[in-house]
Amino acid sequence: MSDLVPPEARALVGKELSAPVTAVITAKESQRYAQAVGDLNPLYFDEAYAQEAGYRTITCPPTFLDHVVVEGRPLGDLREDGLFRQPDGPSLGLRRVMFGGQEWDWLAPVHVGDTITATKRLGAIDEKSGGKGPFVLVTWETTFTNQEGDVVARSRLQGISR
Amino acid sequence: MSSDVQPKDVGSGPTHQPYARDLAVGDELPAAVRNASRTQLFLYSAATWNPHRIHYDVDYARFEGHPDVIVHGPLQGAWLTQYVTDWMGPRGRLVHAGWQNRASGLPEQDLTFRGRITAIDRGQVTLEVWEEAPDGRVLMPGRAVVELPVHPS
Repeated sequence: MSDLVPPEARALVGKELSAPVTAVITAKESQRYAQAVGDLNPLYFDEAYAQEAGYRTITCPPTFLDHVVVEGRPLGDLREDGLFRQPDGPSLGLRRVMFGGQEWDWLAPVHVGDTITATKRLGAIDEKSGGKGPFVLVTWETTFTNQEGDVVARSRLQGISR
Repeated sequence: MSSDVQPKDVGSGPTHQPYARDLAVGDELPAAVRNASRTQLFLYSAATWNPHRIHYDVDYARFEGHPDVIVHGPLQGAWLTQYVTDWMGPRGRLVHAGWQNRASGLPEQDLTFRGRITAIDRGQVTLEVWEEAPDGRVLMPGRAVVELPVHPS
């Protein structure tokens, strides 16, 4: 049925392929991210401003949740394209990987100092055809909870492999 | 900021607080232009622990068929999100954002963010937002939902 998606990869759809990752949001990491994006919103830097706006303390850029839970990996895990090998990911045997898009729902405030746990499952693998030939759309669904057990955000991220 | 000229490597930040009662479906958001240096792309790679070579190694990016190094898809998504959070003011709350990266953005290129209001339900305001290349092509269509205060209180 499909040339690009082996049945072993398709069998992983719906599964959590790695253990949940937990990390604390620090001001240093959040602010480095905000500065690299070019997002100097005082909500991320100025405690009094954030409190005036109704937050307990400074918050972080909404998209930072994806990055706070990225764990360090050794250089030996790098592939030729610079991406890290994903020992638990679906093996597609495709070389070129691109970011395809993302959908976010933010459900509760997030503050610097919060402990975030990300639980990720493989949502879908779909083979598509486009102007540059066939490609595979891989959808990852991630749920982010805080130290109280509240779900603070959900994300659906799509990667393109060709 | 005292100057009228907006630097393009940094967004405007929130400049005022909009209230839902003052808005109407069809209203357009002021456009914002971003332009990433190669250094900014490198710093974003570093801040996000992203070693993908297509964002800093021109030869490798061309080997993969790109015209140059390309702007990270999630960075453009962060800019789209920031475009909305800058507009919604400090008391606005972002509840949803989604976007599709249809074509690549390049460094040292003016990338323009635009938006318009498509629905208002009391304080909940739905926006169509998108990013355009210098030739007007839509690189990244998207949608966002924010909660705004209805009126000053």
